[in-house]
Amino acid sequence: MNPSLTARISLLFAIGAALVLLLLGWVVARAVDAHFVEMDRHELDGKLALVRNLLARAQQREALAALPRQLDDALVGHHHLAVALIAPDGATHFASDGGRVPRALLTASPGGAARVWHWHEGDRHWRGLAADAASGVPGLAPHRVVLALDITHHERFMAEFRHALAWSVALAMLFTAALGWAATRAGLQPLRRITALAENLSASHLHQRLPEAPLPAEIRALAAAFNTMLARLEDSFRRLSEFSADLAHELRTPLSNLMTQTQVALTRARTLEEYRELLGSNLEEYERLARMTGDMLFLAQADNRLLEPRREPVALAAEVDKLFEFYDALAADRGVHLVRQGSADAMADRGMVRRALSNLLSNALRHCPADGTVVVALSRAAGTTRVEVANPGEIAAELLPRLFERFHTGDPARRISGEGAGLGLAIARSIARMHGGDLVARNERGQAVFTLTLP
Amino acid sequence: MKILIVEDEPKTGEYLRQGLTEAGLVADLARDGWDGLQLARGGGYDLVILDVMLPGLDGWGVLRELRAGGVDVPVLFLTARDQIDDRVKGLELGADDYLVKPFAFAELLARARTLLRRGRTTVEPTLLTAADLELDLLRRRARRAGRAIDLTAKEFALLELFLRRQGEVLPRGLIASLVWDMNFDSDTNVIDVAVRRLRAKVDDDFQPRLIRTVRGMGYVLEVPA
Repeated sequence: MNPSLTARISLLFAIGAALVLLLLGWVVARAVDAHFVEMDRHELDGKLALVRNLLARAQQREALAALPRQLDDALVGHHHLAVALIAPDGATHFASDGGRVPRALLTASPGGAARVWHWHEGDRHWRGLAADAASGVPGLAPHRVVLALDITHHERFMAEFRHALAWSVALAMLFTAALGWAATRAGLQPLRRITALAENLSASHLHQRLPEAPLPAEIRALAAAFNTMLARLEDSFRRLSEFSADLAHELRTPLSNLMTQTQVALTRARTLEEYRELLGSNLEEYERLARMTGDMLFLAQADNRLLEPRREPVALAAEVDKLFEFYDALAADRGVHLVRQGSADAMADRGMVRRALSNLLSNALRHCPADGTVVVALSRAAGTTRVEVANPGEIAAELLPRLFERFHTGDPARRISGEGAGLGLAIARSIARMHGGDLVARNERGQAVFTLTLP
Repeated sequence: MKILIVEDEPKTGEYLRQGLTEAGLVADLARDGWDGLQLARGGGYDLVILDVMLPGLDGWGVLRELRAGGVDVPVLFLTARDQIDDRVKGLELGADDYLVKPFAFAELLARARTLLRRGRTTVEPTLLTAADLELDLLRRRARRAGRAIDLTAKEFALLELFLRRQGEVLPRGLIASLVWDMNFDSDTNVIDVAVRRLRAKVDDDFQPRLIRTVRGMGYVLEVPA
């Protein structure tokens, strides 16, 4: 299982804080340590100068012999300092405070230049210095001065410092981990809201949206995407339920017609002619139902990509002319002129294209005023064939977006009249899209223009 | 004229038989593919109406067996609308025509008659008549009661169809298909208008009225008895 984001961020916070504190502690410890070394060296140098001075002033052997007393006096109160003076013959000329001088000091080599070194004996830590010092006695080889500073208290301080640092690091880790946890929880709060919303989502709650304004910038894009998805879902769902409602309504009208007229007819004996009339009327309703289910099935198959259009070269001019012949009587009856402009070919399914064009023409004829002209313009450019079907009379602006929806007939009152179930344009668009084209409608200079594109 | 119906749906099969019988044809009914095949092989039918969806041997199987056995009786097959490739498949297997369910009975009857007529060699008439209406196919002229009637090309084709199929009820779908080559559920209103305009020229100023609307079925041209 993946560790939670909160845990990861908390851990990261803790490690980060620990690293920073450790680095800081190391730098501070180094500085303090260096400062102690400097201070000790300073003191050792000072004492070395003192001893050298005393030695240089002893110009006779007697004065040399008195030196230990002088040194003792000079060193009164310097408990943490041990001094040894070794004569040129190797004998210990002076050792401060007897046994308190560390043994290493007496055997230490001077090492040439005055060099500070550091050692420990038992639990005591020393910093020492060994150097040659010439006495005032002429002809005598230089003495060796060994100085040692008890730095145990420095070491203890450093140990305590490290101890405190360790505790601080541990505490800081805990604290920042907690901080990271809290910050992450607070930061992820909007995500939990999205989760809660998504969990409670059902068909009846699709109108809910996440408020985007109070969200942090990082989450806002997610919330916006989530809201867009909700909007799309709601739209699809609304259309689907409207479609079901429309479908039920469309089916109910012919069914109720059938039932009512049959029931009325059966209430008493009728003449043969009346029965014939009834059956004929019923037949009309049945045909309406059959056509509607056929169209619906076509649309459902098109939506589910179950229809694979054939690809054959189709001369659209010939198709349009053929359709003009078909609609000729209807157009003449309504006093509408049919005009074709240009010509173009397309690779498409002839039958389907004919059906789409027929639906477009039928629609244009239905909405074209008397003595108007329906113009079908064909063109091909950049690999796309365009068929523009234009008729005078604009489409009402509020109908434009719903024009291609199923059972849309432009006028709700006309639905019942039986003049086309309102599936024609939806089918035409389905056919266009099936071919990788499209069908759109717009108003232009007082004309309703439908543009069918085919690749 | 003997017709074999192979249809497993009892109600559909029975009504088809009744309808065809009442139209003056002899119709037998088989309920499944094997029975249908057996009957078709031995029975000397002039037409087989074959449902695609059958228990046992399906319509394709029956058709394949028939053609493999050298029986070249015309076959009209019935298919459901969601079987898109059926049409192509059926015609490839050697069927002669098809109808998509649900179909108008008048359409079935009209197509069946077309197939039954196909086998017969008849002398093509050059003049079609009904009562005092005359259609001269060579000169492309129409006359009624001696008066010339001015028809458009499609009106002429429509009247020719009516005259050739005198007494037969022609459903709108069939008219659209035969006259305008429109093979889908198109605006049937168009056919109504076209027939109305033809009637205005052919019937309105004359007696008797020859072209009649059959409610819910289509149109028929016949000389009233």
